[in-house]
Amino acid sequence: MNEILTVDNLEKVYPNGTRALNDVSFKVNKGEFLVVIGLSGSGKSTLLRCINRLHDPTAGSIRFNGSEVTELKGSPLRSLRAKIGMIFQHFNLVPRKTVMTNVLTGTLSRTGTIASIFGIFSQEDKKRAKELIDLVGLTGKEQQRADNLSGGQQQRVAIARALMQNPEILLADEPVASLDPSTSHSVMNYLKKVQEELGVTVICNLHFLSLVREYGTRVIALKDGKLVFEGPPTDIDEQWFQTIYGEDAVEVTIN
Amino acid sequence: MTEQTLENKAALSPNFASPTKFVKALILDTLIWAYICLASYKIVYTKLIIADRFASFSWSQPLTCLGLGFVLALVIFFTPLSVGKEMFLANKYDRDHKNPMKMPFAFVIYFTVFLTFISGIYVSQVSMREFFSEAGLLGAQRIFGALLAPNFAIIDQAVFAAVETIYMAFIATTIALPFAFTIGFFAARNLMSSSMWAFGVYNITRFFLNTTRSIEPLVWAIIFSVWVGIGPFAGMLALCLHSISSLAKLYSEQIENISEGPIEAMKATGASPIQVIWYGVVPQIVLPYLSFTIYRWDINVRMATIIGLVGGGGIGTMLMQYQGRAMWNEVGLLAIVIAAIVWVMDWSSSKIRAAIK
Repeated sequence: MNEILTVDNLEKVYPNGTRALNDVSFKVNKGEFLVVIGLSGSGKSTLLRCINRLHDPTAGSIRFNGSEVTELKGSPLRSLRAKIGMIFQHFNLVPRKTVMTNVLTGTLSRTGTIASIFGIFSQEDKKRAKELIDLVGLTGKEQQRADNLSGGQQQRVAIARALMQNPEILLADEPVASLDPSTSHSVMNYLKKVQEELGVTVICNLHFLSLVREYGTRVIALKDGKLVFEGPPTDIDEQWFQTIYGEDAVEVTIN
Repeated sequence: MTEQTLENKAALSPNFASPTKFVKALILDTLIWAYICLASYKIVYTKLIIADRFASFSWSQPLTCLGLGFVLALVIFFTPLSVGKEMFLANKYDRDHKNPMKMPFAFVIYFTVFLTFISGIYVSQVSMREFFSEAGLLGAQRIFGALLAPNFAIIDQAVFAAVETIYMAFIATTIALPFAFTIGFFAARNLMSSSMWAFGVYNITRFFLNTTRSIEPLVWAIIFSVWVGIGPFAGMLALCLHSISSLAKLYSEQIENISEGPIEAMKATGASPIQVIWYGVVPQIVLPYLSFTIYRWDINVRMATIIGLVGGGGIGTMLMQYQGRAMWNEVGLLAIVIAAIVWVMDWSSSKIRAAIK
């Protein structure tokens, strides 16, 4: 079976009445680099957070490797999350902790609670963490405090942390939105490497179409919580752009 | 000119869109005018103008004033003098484009503050005559003279008692720490709003903290001295209880201010709730916690002195004994020792807190 994730008629209504996702259905194939685009507030972040159940969907179904995940609770939910890595716009590293410790937090789901409180991680995990720190190009920075690193470096620590989970899917919520253009490319290249060399499926929210065309293998677009486009990045022409980012385009012409 | 009048009209006519806001505004106005009536009648008229020294109190007076306030509020509600209308019903445009300090309703507030000041002076029995009376000045001279000539013969006793006070404060802080640390999590809204059950626990914890904190440690010391007997232990228990609730409150506020990011990231790794707290919450709060705790110790040393006055042991008890026997030279020495401790604690705690920022 080639599909790793199937989303059907997904709906999310926040307690304040905002309908963030409205009847969203799509499939994700194993090993692809799926990019989600859309205006701010179009539901991209909500969509990713529904997949690893940081948010609970209101209706619809999400199947991961063929099994339904929308009703999971407690320990099964945690093992689902362990299989899905996530990186964030603001990196969300643990402050005041070293790069090494931050990467090791990726193993929390398989480390015992007591052991993790005393910071005891297995030798293999430590070795793996070292390898991943090398992989994201931070060799020698293991014992530095993660919050003293630059933005791009912090995001690479976050990638290493997510990879520490041995994930099948990596969710990236606007991973480069708070980075400068050159750093953005470096981070995106590491994500591409993860997808191509480690075979991890990547679902990534992005803002810049240039990055979408360069890194994505497939694109879905959300507008006001609805799926409005699905296809290869080369298919996004002027007209599609207007459909997806319509209001912006109108505003630009008026001004 | 027409625009001006139109604008004024918009500001004057209350907006009836929301009945609850309308009621709130009317209640506020009623309370303000009832207070003005009551204060004017009871203090300015009865006490100051007709100088009735033993004015009788009856519940009919405040109730009459409340009724009068309501009537006044109803009338004033349709004038720019209404405070409630301004607080609850004013439209945002007016608020942004006018200086609220100069609007008519502000003068009602100025008048209320002025009335309270006048009443306050009377109620506190401020009297220049007594302050500068001959007998009074002589007494002050005698006591200050003695205080400025401290009796150094009791210095070793005083220092010993001071050490007792510092230790008492330290133990109270240390014992309070683990309790406050644990309770702090249950009193943090952001961690406890996930379910109805958790929110119930949050509310109960908050209620417990607020009640124990609102009772002064001095009162707790009296309660505990009946329970475990007069001495440092009772004082320590009182400080401990008060420290638990104060620290837990401060800790929980710190937890409420942390960034959600690391918590979300830890959840996303599949970590258990305890792991999420240990890695997502705790690293964000250790330093502020340490800082609060040291500050609390500093406060506890000062409070321990006061608690000593009701028999909580330490230098406060000693102070009370000498003061009771009017031995002002000894009291003078104790005052110096207390000032020295407070100064040293204050200085070192601020230095430590600055160092760990």
